[in-house]
Amino acid sequence: MAMKEWKPSDFGVEEEDEEETPSPPSSITSPSSPLPYFDRDRHVAFLEMMYNLMPYHYQSQEINRLTLAFFTISGLHLLQALDRVDKDRVANWVLSFQAHPRSKAEVKDGQFFGFHGSRTSQFPPDENGVSAHNAGHLASTYCALAILKTVGFSLSTIDKESILISMRNLQWPDGSFMPLHVGAETDLRFVYCAAAICFMLEDWSGMDREKAKEYILNCQSYDGGFGLMPGLESHGGGTYCAVASLRLMGYIEDDLSKKASSSIINVPLLLDWIVQRQATDGGFQGRANKSSDTCYAFWVGAVLRILGGYKFIDKTALRKFLLTCQSEFGGFSKYPGELPDIYHSYYGYTAFSLLEETGLNPLCAELGMTDLAALGII
Amino acid sequence: MESKEDDREPLSSKAEWSDVIPLPQDDGPNPVVPIAYKEEFRETMDYFRAIYQADERSPRALRLTRRAILLNPGNYTVWHFRRLVLQALNVDLDEELDFLQQIANSNSKNYQLWHHRRWVVERLGTDAKAKELQLTKEILSLDAKNYHAWSHRQWVLQALGGWEDELDYCQQILEEDIYNNSAWNQRYFVVTRSPFLGGLKAVRVSEVRYTVDAILAKPDNESPWRYLRGLYRDDTEALVNDSQVSLVCLKVINTKSNYVFALSMLLDLLSYGFQPSQEFRDALDALWTSDSHPLDSDLAKAICYILEHVDSLRASYWIWRKSKLPLAG
Repeated sequence: MAMKEWKPSDFGVEEEDEEETPSPPSSITSPSSPLPYFDRDRHVAFLEMMYNLMPYHYQSQEINRLTLAFFTISGLHLLQALDRVDKDRVANWVLSFQAHPRSKAEVKDGQFFGFHGSRTSQFPPDENGVSAHNAGHLASTYCALAILKTVGFSLSTIDKESILISMRNLQWPDGSFMPLHVGAETDLRFVYCAAAICFMLEDWSGMDREKAKEYILNCQSYDGGFGLMPGLESHGGGTYCAVASLRLMGYIEDDLSKKASSSIINVPLLLDWIVQRQATDGGFQGRANKSSDTCYAFWVGAVLRILGGYKFIDKTALRKFLLTCQSEFGGFSKYPGELPDIYHSYYGYTAFSLLEETGLNPLCAELGMTDLAALGII
Repeated sequence: MESKEDDREPLSSKAEWSDVIPLPQDDGPNPVVPIAYKEEFRETMDYFRAIYQADERSPRALRLTRRAILLNPGNYTVWHFRRLVLQALNVDLDEELDFLQQIANSNSKNYQLWHHRRWVVERLGTDAKAKELQLTKEILSLDAKNYHAWSHRQWVLQALGGWEDELDYCQQILEEDIYNNSAWNQRYFVVTRSPFLGGLKAVRVSEVRYTVDAILAKPDNESPWRYLRGLYRDDTEALVNDSQVSLVCLKVINTKSNYVFALSMLLDLLSYGFQPSQEFRDALDALWTSDSHPLDSDLAKAICYILEHVDSLRASYWIWRKSKLPLAG
């Protein structure tokens, strides 16, 4: 099949995007009518292409290389095409990004001994063995561990202790997390990464769960959704980070079957807000009165799955919307008829997994990867 | 002084950089998801790596971080090093704000840029307040829902002040677009946290009035309905007792158009113990006349039934809501 050659002239106006994905040009004509089915083979080819070489548009995402790898490899696993991947090669490559302390003392000096996101932030130690540029990052660490689990690598063999002890350096007194020890923004995304890391390592010594819970609760907005920080507008991504974290940490269960008063979050209010996120075009929006975007089919859909409310959506309408975002080149775009990118493609696949599309592996909603990988089944 | 003109010339062609050996990226033997870097990107990052490894905190290093940022604004390592260089050179941070201003429009959704801006502003103190509020205003004039801009604005208010004019600003944004949920959220932020308004309860009456007007103008607008509920957060008794709330539901239902949110609110009121007058029953009956499927005598059940049909995307949800209603006594 023909893969589109992206020419520099195609690189048009940057797309609006809340996540910093590379910008496929938005000025492209829509395909005459979308395919009425999920085109698995084309998506596998798309991911294989990415696995082997990503187009230059992704160079601005170099710092998040491990995230790009996660989308690609976990994507292949979702599509039951992990055989396309050399698992040992991937595991070794991922492991090479881990920051290692030289001594036990170093682990408590403030640095974070997780995984780097890319070689751009990773430097060999100098002649004295001093690693002056440790940029272990929470999100990269989450991606690294998720990839390792996906390819069946046992996490029992990695240096968990350094990760967990040094991770505490990243948590603030209000319970929030920054992703890097040198400082960066703090918001729910990194609370989620921390919870997912502890969950995958099966060890909660990496964070103060109670404080994290308090921070999350402070992020619930007056309308029931969660903003990324206290006071901010309720948002599909923020709500996912909040609810998935609480589930991973063990603070909520399938809350619809319980009495409203016994949950630590206002579930009825959240539920009413979140079912309203399905728009008239069948897609999901991230915030009230905004356009539907492919990725919220995951962020919002996964919250519903976790709470036991996925049955409340109109699956036919959602599927129809998602298919208008399916690209003829493989992958998914943010909005109908645009060019695909790896981020929206991945969340398109997770959305179809939630819809129980034939031929896709089931999804672990709270970890954002396949159930098989989450459970450690190769 | 950083100049823009030489930002695109290859570094290897410049005398200034002739003493530096660029440090190539060591991707290792079997890299996964390798990226087809353009030459300009590769070269810039090779020089950055060299300078970073050598920890050279010089004016040319500062210019290099600018170049790298423009190619790679998400690279937090580059931003971090830029901060180290700014400190080492004791650069006038107002100039740094100007630099950020120049690149703000095309990077308005970049987390690193906003974090860097806060770092600069923290060092400048309260003097920066006006500039920050102005910058976010400009960004929001291009994209009135930019999450980062609103977040920065909230941070500025809390760190530096400026609360006095914020309610007016929200009003202005809402006049331009009453559907702007970000502006409604900001309004809530102000009425609940401003040290000048006396707290939510003090402004509740006027806020309810404002919200009711917004609802009546556009009853299909989700935002003011949520806001109205929010004004009575954790106080459902007061919500039930405020006749303005039930009244706006009734008014909208009586128009027989765009009444989904009105029905939903009424359903919630009933579940909190609202005792409806006959008018509510009459309004519902006027809305839905069907001999084959007469409405349930229980008002809440009747509402669920109607919603199941007129809000069909959420039919399963409304059926579930009905199933959860207390059995009639």
